Amino acid sequence: MKRTSEESQSRLPDNSALKQQQLPAYWLQLTATGVLSGFFATGVFCLGVGIILILSAKSIKEIEIKYTKICGNCAKLREDATNFDKECTCSIPFYLSETMQGNVYMYYKLYGFYQNLYRYILSRSNSQLMGTDLKDVGTCAPFSKSHDGTPIAPCGAIANSIFNDTIILSYNLNSSIPIEVPMLRSGITWWTDKYVKFRNPRSKNLSIAFAGTTKPPSWAKPVYELDQEDPENNGFLNDDFIVWMRAAAFPTFKKLYRRLNRIQYFTEGLPAGLAYTVTGAVTWLAFFSMMAIHLMLKDRKMFFTEQ
Amino acid sequence: MREGVVGGGTLPLTLPWGARAPAQKALRWRSVKLTSARQWWCFSEMKYIKCFISEIPWNYSWYYSAMSLVESQSEDRQSEEQVRYLQANSRELNSTFGYPNNTIKTSRYSVFNFLPLNLFEQFQRLANAYFLILLFLQLIPQISSLAWYTTVIPLMVVLSITAVKDAIDDVKRHQNDNHVNNRSVLVVMNGRIKEDKWMNIQVGDIIKLKNNQPVTADVLLLSSSEPYGLTYIETAELDGETNLKVKQSISVTSNLEDNLGLLSSFDGKVRCESPNNKLDKFTGILTFKGKNYTLDHDKLLLRGCIIRNTDWCYGLVIYTGPDTKLMQNCGKSTFKRTHMDHLLNVLVLWIFLFLGGMCFILAIGHGIWENKKGYYFQDFLPWEEYVSSSVVSAILTFWSYFIILNTMVPISLYVSVEIIRLGNSCYINWDRKMYYAPKNTPAQARTTTLNEELGQVKYVFSDKTGTLTQNIMIFNKCSINGIIYGYGYDKNGQRVEVSELVYQAQSPDEGALVTAARNFGFVFRSRTSETIMVVEMGETKVYQLLAILDFSNVRKRMSVIVRTPEDRVMLFCKGADTILCQLLHPSCRSLRDVTMEHLDDFAFEGLRTLMVAYREVDNAFYQAWSKKHSEACLSLENREDKISDVYREMEKDLMLLGATAIEDKLQDGVPETITTLNKAKIKIWVLTGDKQETAVNIAYACNIFEEEMDGIFIVEGKNDETVRQELRLARKKMKPESLLESDPVNTYLNTKPQMPFRIPEEVPNGNYGLIINGYSLAYALEGNLELELLRTVCMCKGVICCRMTPLQKAQVVELMKRYKEVVTLAIGDGANDVSMIKAAHIGVGITGQEGMQAMLNSDYAISQFCYLQRLLLVHGRWSYNRMCKFLSYFFYKNFAFTLMHFWYAFFSGFSAQTVYDTWFITFYNLVYTSLPVLSLSLFDQDVNETWSLRFPELYDPGQHNLYFNKKEFVKCLVRGIYSSFVLFFIPMKTIHNSVHSDGKEISDYQSFSLLVQTALLCVVTVQIALDTTYWTLISHIFTWGSLGFYFCILFLLYSDGLCLMFPNVFQFLGVARNTLNLPQMWLIIILSVVLCILPVIGYRFLKPLFWPADVDKIMNRIHLWTRHPLLPPTQTKLRHTRPRRSAYAFSHKQGFGALITSGKTMKDKVFKKNSFSFKK
Repeated sequence: MKRTSEESQSRLPDNSALKQQQLPAYWLQLTATGVLSGFFATGVFCLGVGIILILSAKSIKEIEIKYTKICGNCAKLREDATNFDKECTCSIPFYLSETMQGNVYMYYKLYGFYQNLYRYILSRSNSQLMGTDLKDVGTCAPFSKSHDGTPIAPCGAIANSIFNDTIILSYNLNSSIPIEVPMLRSGITWWTDKYVKFRNPRSKNLSIAFAGTTKPPSWAKPVYELDQEDPENNGFLNDDFIVWMRAAAFPTFKKLYRRLNRIQYFTEGLPAGLAYTVTGAVTWLAFFSMMAIHLMLKDRKMFFTEQ
Repeated sequence: MREGVVGGGTLPLTLPWGARAPAQKALRWRSVKLTSARQWWCFSEMKYIKCFISEIPWNYSWYYSAMSLVESQSEDRQSEEQVRYLQANSRELNSTFGYPNNTIKTSRYSVFNFLPLNLFEQFQRLANAYFLILLFLQLIPQISSLAWYTTVIPLMVVLSITAVKDAIDDVKRHQNDNHVNNRSVLVVMNGRIKEDKWMNIQVGDIIKLKNNQPVTADVLLLSSSEPYGLTYIETAELDGETNLKVKQSISVTSNLEDNLGLLSSFDGKVRCESPNNKLDKFTGILTFKGKNYTLDHDKLLLRGCIIRNTDWCYGLVIYTGPDTKLMQNCGKSTFKRTHMDHLLNVLVLWIFLFLGGMCFILAIGHGIWENKKGYYFQDFLPWEEYVSSSVVSAILTFWSYFIILNTMVPISLYVSVEIIRLGNSCYINWDRKMYYAPKNTPAQARTTTLNEELGQVKYVFSDKTGTLTQNIMIFNKCSINGIIYGYGYDKNGQRVEVSELVYQAQSPDEGALVTAARNFGFVFRSRTSETIMVVEMGETKVYQLLAILDFSNVRKRMSVIVRTPEDRVMLFCKGADTILCQLLHPSCRSLRDVTMEHLDDFAFEGLRTLMVAYREVDNAFYQAWSKKHSEACLSLENREDKISDVYREMEKDLMLLGATAIEDKLQDGVPETITTLNKAKIKIWVLTGDKQETAVNIAYACNIFEEEMDGIFIVEGKNDETVRQELRLARKKMKPESLLESDPVNTYLNTKPQMPFRIPEEVPNGNYGLIINGYSLAYALEGNLELELLRTVCMCKGVICCRMTPLQKAQVVELMKRYKEVVTLAIGDGANDVSMIKAAHIGVGITGQEGMQAMLNSDYAISQFCYLQRLLLVHGRWSYNRMCKFLSYFFYKNFAFTLMHFWYAFFSGFSAQTVYDTWFITFYNLVYTSLPVLSLSLFDQDVNETWSLRFPELYDPGQHNLYFNKKEFVKCLVRGIYSSFVLFFIPMKTIHNSVHSDGKEISDYQSFSLLVQTALLCVVTVQIALDTTYWTLISHIFTWGSLGFYFCILFLLYSDGLCLMFPNVFQFLGVARNTLNLPQMWLIIILSVVLCILPVIGYRFLKPLFWPADVDKIMNRIHLWTRHPLLPPTQTKLRHTRPRRSAYAFSHKQGFGALITSGKTMKDKVFKKNSFSFKK
């Protein structure tokens, strides 16, 4: 009777698979065979991977030397902040029972050092580290500027608290003459960090480039003097600095410090049987962080065991 | 045959203007009409949100929407306007009063105010407001622990999705407004007729309306083409009634007729009441040529009506646009919310508490840590100046964690739920199997917020007429003089020609009889209070109507006494066979036996039978009887008894003519639907205004009652005590122990629990049915009996409530809602069902012949009752399952995601350090995990529609809300805790001792973040892959695509270019490259996935094996059948055997006999053409 124009056209809905909920589909069912075979397949897979990993991990050797207590007097010295620039050394002899063959890496390990605190991890300036804007210290609180208002480079809590113990590994070939084990300080960072994320300000002379900035309060020397021998390892591009700046996820962490330079006696790795000495020029130490040096051979993978 | 049909068939009166609505629908609830009339161009989306102060809904506006501002303004104006003055044809004068023009505005926004107004409305939703507050918290540097964009971006997306939806709705409204406002109408201007747009009409204008045109505004009828200024209108759009109503102008204006000169010089002044929403009330005074004439609502044509059977009419515009009664009634409707909404609000509250608890623990942890370690760590990281002690720091950390852990309360939950419901509503609109071709109507989901509740229905309250039955009576068979005749063929076996004449009888039964007689050549043409004119096989005969012996429930018969043209006085009687048998003359005993056999046959076919008999009376006897009759009628004492005595005197020694069988046609598939719904343990109650016999008959016909039931109770007590006894008796039989003091329900009720309390389910010892009539129900619904009633009634399988008023229908539904934790559904087609449709959790309207009232108030509109099973068992079930899967998964994924921060707090000095990259936090809910879960909740099917219909038992879990409840939520929480635990500690422990093959360590924060977030995403993706049972191409694309998309975005966000451009925003330069190429990272991810998923698979696999629920067994059978497609089990055919139930199942009302003979209805004899209308 009414609105005949509307009624003349059919209101029959479209016959599409979507609208009729008839889309072709596969019905997923948890069948006994499916579940059990999946279960066993996963088991076998995990078992296999686990065995492989355990076998590969067996070839890895690891020595950890804790020096917090042994170098206790140094730790005491550091309790008084005014002594920060005083040097303190101590050495720890140890004995290697068998040869560490292959690549040897030296790590430093910190216990209970919270690199992952919210404010700590934010306290850095990526644009400064990229060399684009040295004065950009906005995100670096509480270490953004010195008392006189000069921007700090590198700014921020992470940079300020850099680990700067010097660790030297000596090899006592004969009981009297220690040989310093040759170590490489390069190649310990991510490629992207070294070549993209960290850049020095463009200038021929680094000290000029960093003019107008000051060193972080806890640092003994400015950033452009980190490695005066190797310009590729100086300033923001210093490998130790870059490694430190990659904040650790957990309060106990280790970071790569040096790689063994496989020359002379050490082409095969670290020879066994003889005494080594680790000499730490401990310039920086907090009494609550336990520190240790790791010597590791090759890599070590996680254990993967069958569930 | 000849005499019988004519004699019986001409009895019913044909009302002058066609009271087309059947008598049982005459019980209309007046106030329903008033409150629920809505304009027909309202869309379902137009349900304005209106809230209750008693509870603060989480996701909806707790403050009135801007709409109400507009309304309140207009109310202000109205409160000022006490009386309305206007003068015809005087725009200058009328404009001084500042009446609005005839423009209507249902839209809410304009281009300019859309953004502020919409945002304002959206922030009134508690969920959005929460995130806004969170945003402000984040802006406080002291406690900010997340970048601002982690909240802003999701909030923006959520807001813009809603804004776009609102905008689309509003554009539709604008279009409709424009369409309506620009319709053309004829206006009388300076002696000429001018065509103008609707919106330009102003108060005081005189307009011309033509036949079948909608009325432009509320106008005072001045004159019309019909005599006496009568105008016929249809008010279906206004109140849902399709019968024609008549309006009459006052005589002084009807004389104006269509004389344009007179009309344009008409300067009558009208003083009337201010605009209001009362449809049946209008008072005013017309002053014309110094005389006053009173005006009432009979003279007012309301906007929304349609002119019928009237060539033209003129009217004076009184109310325009927003002042019209239609608009005053429009747009407000209460907002129904599902059980799931309530549950979600409770759960969100739980989450808040949980969140607060976690923040508290972490804040304490922080305090301790700062005291023990942080204090000494100040060499490396000094405290902020405002942090004086570890306590201050802890308090600040509380808020920091509050910000970080905010993802526990999922921001996109509500918007996702809305999208899912919208999608599932669309499926209902799109379903071809719910499209009814004869009426060209598809099913319609008018509300998009109730879908999952369709899968939880436990009680269906159904109207009878027009819902279960078609409300079409068809004369099917008859037995005349011992011979059965079928319908539709004359004595030569030729199909009878159907004439065009349509009767509008007061009961459809009678309509069927008269129509059948007409088809056989005995055409009832017209009547007066004293005569009946019948054309018998082309020959016109006039019968003198002498008396009508009216129908009553006790007599179950009615008779008419006529004087035939041959001057014989004849009594014709029709009635229930049981009664009529006893009144027959002994001579027709053999005929009676044969006829009774035929009646058995008819009843067997489910037909409604009537016996017809006659008696020839000699004139003297009649005269004497007539005298007695008049005396009885005039007597003051015991009049009823005296009259029925007189009647009895006349109705005896009847000669049997035969029997008629009328089919009260059930709608297609009703019995099957009800059987299916019964199997799904849905209880169906019939609430009808109809008589008990009819209702019971239909109840048997459509399987609500079955022959093999253990008992059927009838409650028909006339007072408190008898009703109570009847109810208790019924309960005693169904469950004897329920009357004992020791019964757990009794002991529970004896403790007098606080409202609201719930009555637990009680199981009877068999299948029972119960019939209760409205009169007894009135007692039963009273305070002290309602629990009695509820407990008894809920044990019955089928319940028939007859003689119900619309209000009682709503009361029954309310009762059920109050004391039972169940979902109720009311289904009906007429205005008298509106109350229950609105009261029930879900209202379903049948789009039928009875106007649109029920449909306009319903949440879902279907055109056939049998679509209900598809609506519930297929759409409802899927919607429910999908919603539950969605919610389980959604909460799970957010818990797994958020709780990771909690674990990390223990290793990061409780410093509110997040585990993830901030961009991952921003995108996790919005981009990475939203599409798979949407595809799950829009496409998933656990079994296909065929199985859902074949095994209605699968519907059961929804009724008990087994798939998502508080227990399931806790399971989600536990699963989330477990997953986050695995996802945090496995990577942590494995990464700890692991280095790159070239000696570089990989345990830095950024690598760890990447590892954990990738593992998390893999786990939740595999999890949803397991949840998805129905893998369409779209599911594959969405699920695996999202994971792939994550890696793409990852490489983009961690790319050199982006990081070099914004070094302080995108800090994760190179992490993806350096980390994802490590095999151990992938092994960690695999291990995490395996560990997270294994218990879930195990649980899902073992649970149905060792603790199978009923549903699991059915699912097993289905899986077995799908894998071995042998012959599926055939559905048992419904048997149509039922014993004979004598039925005088007339939907008759007493008192019509008197009405006819009084001649009151005949006053408009002039308009004979309206006593019947021709089919168009």
